[in-house]
Amino acid sequence: MNGHVTIRLASERVNHCVASSNELPRFYTPGEVISGMQDFMRGHGTYVEDDCIKSSVAGVMQKVNKLICVRPLKSRYVGEIGDVVVGRVLEVQQKRWKIETNSRLDSILQLSSVNLPGGELRRRSAEDEQMMRKHLQEGDLISAEVQSVFSDGSLSLHTRSLKYGKLSQGVLMKVFPSLIKRRKNHFHNLPCGIAIIIGNNGFIWMSPMQRNVIIGENKDEIQNYEHQPINKSDREIMARLKNCVAALVAAKMMLDDSSIMFAYEESLRYDDVKELLDPEVMLDIAFLTQHRLNSIMEE
Amino acid sequence: MWTTKTFLTKTKRGNVLKIVREHYLRDDLLCGSAACNFCPHKDDELVLEANPESLCGLFDSNHYLILDTNVVLHQIDVIEEDALKNVIILQTVLEEVKHQNTAIFQRLLEVIGNKKRKFFSFVNEHHKDTYVERNPGEKQNDRNDRAIRKAASWYASHLSIKNIDGQFPQIVLLTDDEKNRQLAHDEGILTCTVSDYIKNVNGYPGLSDKLSKNVIPESCSKDALYPAHLTPTQIHAGIRNGKLHQGTFHASRDNYLEGNATISGCEKSILLQGHIGINRAIDGDIVAIEILPQEEWSKPSDIVLEDKTEDPGDFLEEESQLLTISKADDDITPTGKVVGIIRRKWRQYCGILLPSKFPGATRHLFTPAEKRIPRVRIETRQSDILASQRILVALDSWPRNSRYPLGHFVRSLGPIGDKDAENEVILLEHDVPHARFSEAVLACLPPDNWTIPEEELARRVDLRATCVCSVDPPGCTDIDDALHARRAAAGYEVGVHIADVTHFVRPHSALDREAAARATTVYLVDKRIDMVPELLSSNLCSLRGGEERLAFSCIWILDENAHVLSTKFHKSVIKSRAAMTYEEAQMAIDETSRNDEIATSLRLLNKLAKKLKQRRLDNGALLLASPEIRFQVDSETHEPLDVQAKRIVDTNSMVEEFMLLANVSVAERIAADYPQSALLRRHPAPPPAHFNAFLKAASRQGFELDVSTNKSFSKSLNEAVIPERPFFNTLLRIMATRCMQQAVYFSSGSKTQEEFYHYGLACPIYTHFTSPIRRYADVVVHRLLAGSVGADATHAALLDTRAAQALCDNLNYRHRHAQLAARASVALNTHILFKNREEVESAVVLAVKRNALQVLIPKYGLEGPLYLPSDKFTYNEEENVQICNDIVFKTFDELTVRLTLDSSNLQHRKLVFQLVTPFIPGVSYVQQTKDDQMEVENVEIKTDEKKRKDLPETKNKKKKKSKT
Amino acid sequence: MPPPDLLSSQGLRLDGRRPNELRRIRCKLGVFTQPDGSAYLEQGNTKVLAAVYGPHQAAKSKSSVEGVVVNCQYSMATFSTGERKNRPRGDRKSQEMSLHLRQALTAAIKTELYPRSQIDIYIEVLQADGGAYCASVNAATLALVDAGVPLRAYACACSASMAWRGAQPEPLLDVGHVEEAAGGVVLTVASLPSTGSIALLELSHRLHSDYFEMVLSRAMQGCKDIEIVLDKAVREHLAEGWTKQDVVTI
Repeated sequence: MNGHVTIRLASERVNHCVASSNELPRFYTPGEVISGMQDFMRGHGTYVEDDCIKSSVAGVMQKVNKLICVRPLKSRYVGEIGDVVVGRVLEVQQKRWKIETNSRLDSILQLSSVNLPGGELRRRSAEDEQMMRKHLQEGDLISAEVQSVFSDGSLSLHTRSLKYGKLSQGVLMKVFPSLIKRRKNHFHNLPCGIAIIIGNNGFIWMSPMQRNVIIGENKDEIQNYEHQPINKSDREIMARLKNCVAALVAAKMMLDDSSIMFAYEESLRYDDVKELLDPEVMLDIAFLTQHRLNSIMEE
Repeated sequence: MWTTKTFLTKTKRGNVLKIVREHYLRDDLLCGSAACNFCPHKDDELVLEANPESLCGLFDSNHYLILDTNVVLHQIDVIEEDALKNVIILQTVLEEVKHQNTAIFQRLLEVIGNKKRKFFSFVNEHHKDTYVERNPGEKQNDRNDRAIRKAASWYASHLSIKNIDGQFPQIVLLTDDEKNRQLAHDEGILTCTVSDYIKNVNGYPGLSDKLSKNVIPESCSKDALYPAHLTPTQIHAGIRNGKLHQGTFHASRDNYLEGNATISGCEKSILLQGHIGINRAIDGDIVAIEILPQEEWSKPSDIVLEDKTEDPGDFLEEESQLLTISKADDDITPTGKVVGIIRRKWRQYCGILLPSKFPGATRHLFTPAEKRIPRVRIETRQSDILASQRILVALDSWPRNSRYPLGHFVRSLGPIGDKDAENEVILLEHDVPHARFSEAVLACLPPDNWTIPEEELARRVDLRATCVCSVDPPGCTDIDDALHARRAAAGYEVGVHIADVTHFVRPHSALDREAAARATTVYLVDKRIDMVPELLSSNLCSLRGGEERLAFSCIWILDENAHVLSTKFHKSVIKSRAAMTYEEAQMAIDETSRNDEIATSLRLLNKLAKKLKQRRLDNGALLLASPEIRFQVDSETHEPLDVQAKRIVDTNSMVEEFMLLANVSVAERIAADYPQSALLRRHPAPPPAHFNAFLKAASRQGFELDVSTNKSFSKSLNEAVIPERPFFNTLLRIMATRCMQQAVYFSSGSKTQEEFYHYGLACPIYTHFTSPIRRYADVVVHRLLAGSVGADATHAALLDTRAAQALCDNLNYRHRHAQLAARASVALNTHILFKNREEVESAVVLAVKRNALQVLIPKYGLEGPLYLPSDKFTYNEEENVQICNDIVFKTFDELTVRLTLDSSNLQHRKLVFQLVTPFIPGVSYVQQTKDDQMEVENVEIKTDEKKRKDLPETKNKKKKKSKT
Repeated sequence: MPPPDLLSSQGLRLDGRRPNELRRIRCKLGVFTQPDGSAYLEQGNTKVLAAVYGPHQAAKSKSSVEGVVVNCQYSMATFSTGERKNRPRGDRKSQEMSLHLRQALTAAIKTELYPRSQIDIYIEVLQADGGAYCASVNAATLALVDAGVPLRAYACACSASMAWRGAQPEPLLDVGHVEEAAGGVVLTVASLPSTGSIALLELSHRLHSDYFEMVLSRAMQGCKDIEIVLDKAVREHLAEGWTKQDVVTI
């Protein structure tokens, strides 16, 4: 375990910012007056004091008709219905699980919003309640969708689709939720043979594609599959992918399947996965990715 | 708005710590020169002239001077002269000076503060272009020198910027350091040594006299007379391992080759003898001492040895007289020698010049007035003028090859024998600040025609209608107290009104700081050194008759027996009906025909005062006495004409009683309101050991005194009366006074409640409130009380225990020195009085010494030794008496002595006492004829008559004075 | 008399600042990726790291329906002072500091927005050279901004002391360790400068009330100055982070 460890001086630190835009939006900082109260309604990130709407966070202002919001650079995940999230089971409670989803309050997964083996329309019995822990226990990772948002802001999840459910072998990455680009689809099977779930809450799940598994009933096979070792090449690809995401995050670039894929492709010029940890390389990858994204957009 | 400058850290390695400090470099610091076209100066920031006139012959072009640290430290006397102008004092220098010598630092600040001198202090350490960082391995001193050179070259180039006509001042660096000069020269900076520069200054003769002598390093051993001192590190190591001791050197008054050192933790002081033993230590210095092995110990010699009048040159004479000392075992004391000086405690010394025998010589000896200080060698070209003057000299160094310390002339105080010069000597030697009030202080004063403003009247209690009057000694112009008394519904209302000095002396003003530094008004016989400027002391604050004045009043309701029923304090406005002397007041009381308001008020006061006094005495207050005299001074020449003992009348004690009452009332109030910071005055009970000699002497006269408590002491003093000797009781009281300790100011936070006790006055708490014009303590008490009654805001320093204690220390110091100065002044005037005069007076024995009697002449309050030849008298130590045949002298005996002045030594003129009666052949002074004796008696009668005649006369004189 | 040495006759302080000048402030937001918000702040030689976690679900015992629970933990690194000293977490001094920090920051955070939540703020002093509290508050504010926690306004803290320039009392802004150690009072103010409200006021010794106003207003002025510095840092940070997002989203 005597690998090289490089600790850099603060002054030699690489500036990861891939500056390209020359026009900056107008920023608002906490306490700054946005406008008078008369014409507008206050939204998130604002508050009213002395008949003025003031910003309470640092970010850009967004105006939707008469509603004024200020969106901060980053914050905890604020869920919306239909979002795909990746979360971790914190607690098993009466008829529900508590799930940590990087939002302000813990999310809830009702027993009733879970697909249990044996058909969708099965009645939940007392037995099921006792079996909850068997299904999902503390520490398990799941993917889910936001079903509804409670009045206090906490989320209610459901996994009533086969694409949701417990996650077994793979890599979890946590990034700031604001870096996740909202897309129609957050489940991707990347060409490199890795399935990736880009949770709206900033949790990114990477796992080898389930090639042999026929999605469906065969429960035992799935179970088997969970315990099968993953071969080295897959693991290497996942590691590379993870480092690519890290490089994008360091450059504060938005994440979606294309940016991740581009980054991955660009990273291939570096043979050794561990090279990707080098700040210059990270910057290089981010820069190249940005370049490719820009060219796509121009097209 | 602020800007941050390039940031550099400065590291300082302590024992183990590494301290990193911020050090901001600025670009907004000004160069202060009028020749500069670059800095955005405001007009008042231009200190240095654009075209400074060049005084020095060495430099033709006009220039500014930059001084190096050692130049400032050694040549401060030169710098204080007006000759040098347009000088740049770098912060590097300023800080080093401050670090090394605070006294010189203060003087330097004074010079910088003087606008006319055009001294500019440049903050080079924080200027972005002149800051230099210490190189690795570079010594701090070298770095500082480099910083100075850097600043000098910066100035030179800075002034040339944008200077189209090429007319800009040069920079000249003055330094005595050879290496520094060389380096500066290499860098293209003009340099010069101080002495070269000063000697070539035109138009200021005598300036070069003030040059300090260069210090010759201790290691130089050429022609060395003295052994070298150890280095500080050696001393430090020696003290740590116990071989050396640190002590304060006290030179002997009688023998210039002897002294001793007090070492903390060592009961007996260490004897130091001979040139080598003392090794250039000067009185007051803190020295390192090595104690000699026991077999070399000796005893203090009892010979009086004075340095010879002639200048012996640089060699040490034989010390045989000293060294032939009998090694009697019983008398030997630990003996040591000085091996190093830890800190010099030099100040400036007054004295006279002892001109060299050779005409035209420039090296002369100087004899200080203080006998403990050795003679000093100085260099001057003005010896002819200075020989007849009292001069002030500063010490510079004492190199090993010089018999005497080297010094330089500071200034002349005036001709020897001149009253002003002699007074100046007294003031200087007692460290009494007596310079004229500075402009800043005078600027704090109200205008001359100040009247009480309306809003002030509205804020105060109006007592102008009350019949207030003041009673003071004749000739008093600083009247700080006035009184009133009248019947009230319940008992009597009595008010004490004290001048409201704090209305004018505001905290933290220049005036306040000056007053705090002076601490007290000092009364010399013919001169008063005011604590506050005269406008206040003799006019606006003085509660003069018929004028409206601001006062701080303390009003009591007293019952028939003078018990306090209620007390209140408030600021007020009063209009004194009359400013009386004690005698006038006494007459007003005694004249039964007078029934006006003043007289009745006075009688009432007098009646109550007597009751107060009686109660106080019953409580154990001591009536002590000291031989106080008043000089009658010729109004024209200020020469003393005659003396008289102070007369005490009833009214004296009347005023005193109410002042005591006021002080006590105020003390109680402020101690309650400021438990941590009240300024109080305590008088500790004297330790019983102090009384031993006194009790012995009293018992020999047949009185057994009880000193266990002040009450019993007071009682037994009252009973000790010999009817046929009326002075005896007074004498006892005088002697008792000398057993007492000093009363001192203190801050209530620094002592426990029990320690507040005032022994002499027998009251549990006391302070000074009644004389704010002449005592700073009272000013502080006024402020405290004002804060307490809500009449004025308090300020931070007032509430800080530590600050209060520091203030008290200064007050105590100044008061003690003021007393000593006053005494010295009395002595001086007595000497003048006895010039060309001789008198025979009755005297009493105060103490019996081995070779003399200490006698007191009550008429003059004079005290001195009456030497007895040892071949005729035998001293009985056991009984403390001197015996000659059948005549026995013991303490309190009365005799007659003849007084003359011995003027053989100009420095130390002294009165000579000779015994007249009882007659002892060969000892007593013999009158030539019997008629002489008669004449003397006649003279005495005459003087008595004269005294009586003089009284009204002097009063008139004083009155005249006070009116002017 | 109070210590006269803090101001030179030219009106400069020991380190070369004028009485109304702050020490140099350097700061950076988002120094860590793990916490929700983080910041590093240097105020002269005082260096502080702050990390913010949350708002997240509050522990049951602390949970409040009223608003978010702010939890602070202040600690000093062993190497933070001249003398190396092991500083157990939660000693009296840091507990007190934690409480004071909480007081100041709670005033700034719009706590009512997040019931049943909790915000954890961790402060680590890397180097203490006077004014550690002030630097901590300022760093924590930046970390909160970085975390996107809604604030009423910036919470800024600044200290001020008193010195004498001749007879004139002169308040000193942003007191460094040397000046702190030289004695005299230190007034610490935590305030929301844009609203002018004071969140915390602490006086190290007794200060005469005559001078209080003066010292306080100097400290408040300092808070305002600090706010400007912080605001600038926040805007720079935003500018750095925002560019990418916009390019992609447009």
